[in-house]
Amino acid sequence: MAAAGKFEWKIAIVNKPLKDKTYFENLKETVIDTGICSRCLTCACICPVDGIIAAKPVDFPDYKERCTDCGACVRVCPRFDYKPKYGMGEYLEFVAAKSNRFVGQDGAMVTEIMMSAIEMGMIDRALFVGRNDEWMTEVFHVYDPSQLEMGTLTGTKYTFATVLKDLKKAVLLSKKGVGIVGTPCIVSGVKKLQKEYPLFRERVKLVVGLFCTENFHYEELAAFLSEKGVDHNRLIKTDITKGKFIATMEGEEEPVTFKVKELEEILPSGCSVCTDFTAVEADVSVGSVGSKPGFSSVAVREKNAAEVMDYIREKGYAEFGGDAVEKQLEFLINYKIGRFYVETAEEEGRDKSL
Amino acid sequence: MKKIVAPDYGLGETVKSHAAAIKVAIKEAILPQTVTSHYPGERRRMPDCFRGYLRFDPEMCISCFQCSFICPANAIGMREAPDNRYYPTIDYGKCIFCYFCLDSCPGGALKPTKVHDVAYNDVDEMLTPTCDMIDMPEIIREDERYVEYKIDEHDLSLERVKGLDDLAVELPELEKISMVSVCVAPENCLSCRVCEEVCESGAITSALDGDEIRMTIDTTTCNGCGLCVKECSMQVLRLVRREI
Ligand SMILES: Cc1cc2nc3c(=O)[nH]c(=O)nc-3n(C[C@H](O)[C@H](O)[C@H](O)COP(=O)(O)OP(=O)(O)OC[C@H]3O[C@@H](n4cnc5c(N)ncnc54)[C@H](O)[C@@H]3O)c2cc1C
Ligand code: SF4
Ligand code: SF4
Ligand code: SF4
Ligand code: SF4
Repeated sequence: MAAAGKFEWKIAIVNKPLKDKTYFENLKETVIDTGICSRCLTCACICPVDGIIAAKPVDFPDYKERCTDCGACVRVCPRFDYKPKYGMGEYLEFVAAKSNRFVGQDGAMVTEIMMSAIEMGMIDRALFVGRNDEWMTEVFHVYDPSQLEMGTLTGTKYTFATVLKDLKKAVLLSKKGVGIVGTPCIVSGVKKLQKEYPLFRERVKLVVGLFCTENFHYEELAAFLSEKGVDHNRLIKTDITKGKFIATMEGEEEPVTFKVKELEEILPSGCSVCTDFTAVEADVSVGSVGSKPGFSSVAVREKNAAEVMDYIREKGYAEFGGDAVEKQLEFLINYKIGRFYVETAEEEGRDKSL
Repeated sequence: MKKIVAPDYGLGETVKSHAAAIKVAIKEAILPQTVTSHYPGERRRMPDCFRGYLRFDPEMCISCFQCSFICPANAIGMREAPDNRYYPTIDYGKCIFCYFCLDSCPGGALKPTKVHDVAYNDVDEMLTPTCDMIDMPEIIREDERYVEYKIDEHDLSLERVKGLDDLAVELPELEKISMVSVCVAPENCLSCRVCEEVCESGAITSALDGDEIRMTIDTTTCNGCGLCVKECSMQVLRLVRREI
């Protein structure tokens, strides 16, 4: 507020390294074109003209006409001013658990945590990643357990999802708060949005991270799996355990399995520079390593997530299998860090053994 | 127990009405079906809140379509007028006289009347075009004066009162609310200037101010149209009452 008849407010200008270029050109040249873009779509979430699309690579096709050059995208992009995260991160407890109510990838604890948070009134909607018959990911706003009956909302899809593109809409529609689940890059995007804008700080009440070594582009993974004899229309579950990719098909006794290492040729460049296996910035991280089959390993990091876990215990919604084993994660944590150094060494022409 | 006592019409009036009834009966016997009898037989005085035929003032209409959206009977159609604006038409074959349209009209363009006995030749005629909604409909009735029955509170006798009534009800003037756009959450603003782009009256401007962008809404130029509020993707703008 200033002089009478005027209503004023100020916004700090966002820094840009390439001074004579627009903000989107900055994002494109320093993040997207260099291949470090994680395809988290935080930029697409904030873009006021909804111009950034989930193409491969991420793009704003008509940015010359429509971009308002506001700089919001570079302000929230977690890879723009990239500070890699790694390790186990801090946590209050790390337990093995299995939901008594839902069926999921492992112990369905992600689904249990979200549905319990809705039941508690902490959030009124959760963003889930579902899929169509061809296994293309689709984002769903879940308010009620009955929506899970379609069966495709739980479980892991090893291809990129557009969860973050829906977050602004979810946040503006929500009364109590929104819950979001995603890979570590998505979690970093949400945390950056929360750091920069109060809207997301106030309305995103629960951030669930997934353990993740890598994710894939749909077209590439689909082509790869077809070559291996996987029929997407009959596919019911995909899983990565103990270094093996396992695709279970309907009407097929033996699943199609092969070494994850074979997927290296289609490893997205954005994942190869990522060192965050456990989603260290999440309110709670969930994965499969660290506990026995059928259980999820749950690393509770923040108070809000601890409240949800207390509620689940109180209601007896889950079976607890004791502490998860942090030691079992070491291999994958170090594998990701090691891969990052190999990648960057290759790029900079350094000796890989360094 | 108290009983409502019928009014005493007096000998003259009674003879007169009996004679009239005999006249109608003879006429019907010789030339059947040549009379229109009014219904109700007497013109009654309707209360001011009576929901009758609607009148329309195009000057007050802002073509917002609210009336047609809200109409539960789907009786209102918006038609383009020669001035290229859209105005309501009412299909009285559908209208249920709920007056939701009148209540929803922000400009006060729809006006109430106490007219309720309207006759049409066929169903198509019941779709009333805007031009026919502007003036009061022509009223053809022999009895100009209305009749009102008043019950005496003490002895419950009925009194018959006659009078003249204006069927067009004038409502008290609407309080004009003046709105203006303000930013309620500056920390969420992206400085995308989409608001500046859409504002037709040039009330929103942006300028560089050191290492900040200064957004300004000129509250005297803002006409409260709300376009910026609708277009802001972060929903940080609101229309508030202008303080004068
Ligand atoms: C790409 C990817 C790679 C992973 N890699 C590993 C790994 O190497 N080691 C490991 O231990 N665990 C990994 N996980 C996590 C693991 O597969 C399970 O998701 C986790 O254990 C939770 O299981 P659950 O039964 O508790 O979840 P469920 O209750 O089945 O819920 C799964 C949740 O994941 C969400 N989801 C599914 N696919 C995606 C996607 N592509 N993007 C964003 N959200 C999605 C769904 O919306 C759902 O809410 C990975 C997950 C993903 C998505
Ligand atoms: S409009 Fe803003 S957020 Fe969208 S691409 Fe342009 S600079 Fe980035
Ligand atoms: S890393 Fe995420 S925010 Fe940054 S450019 Fe890629 S998709 Fe956009
Ligand atoms: S449209 Fe909204 S976010 Fe964009 S500059 Fe205007 S007030 Fe700020
Ligand atoms: S309400 Fe209308 S006139 Fe006022 S600033 Fe917004 S767009 Fe401009």
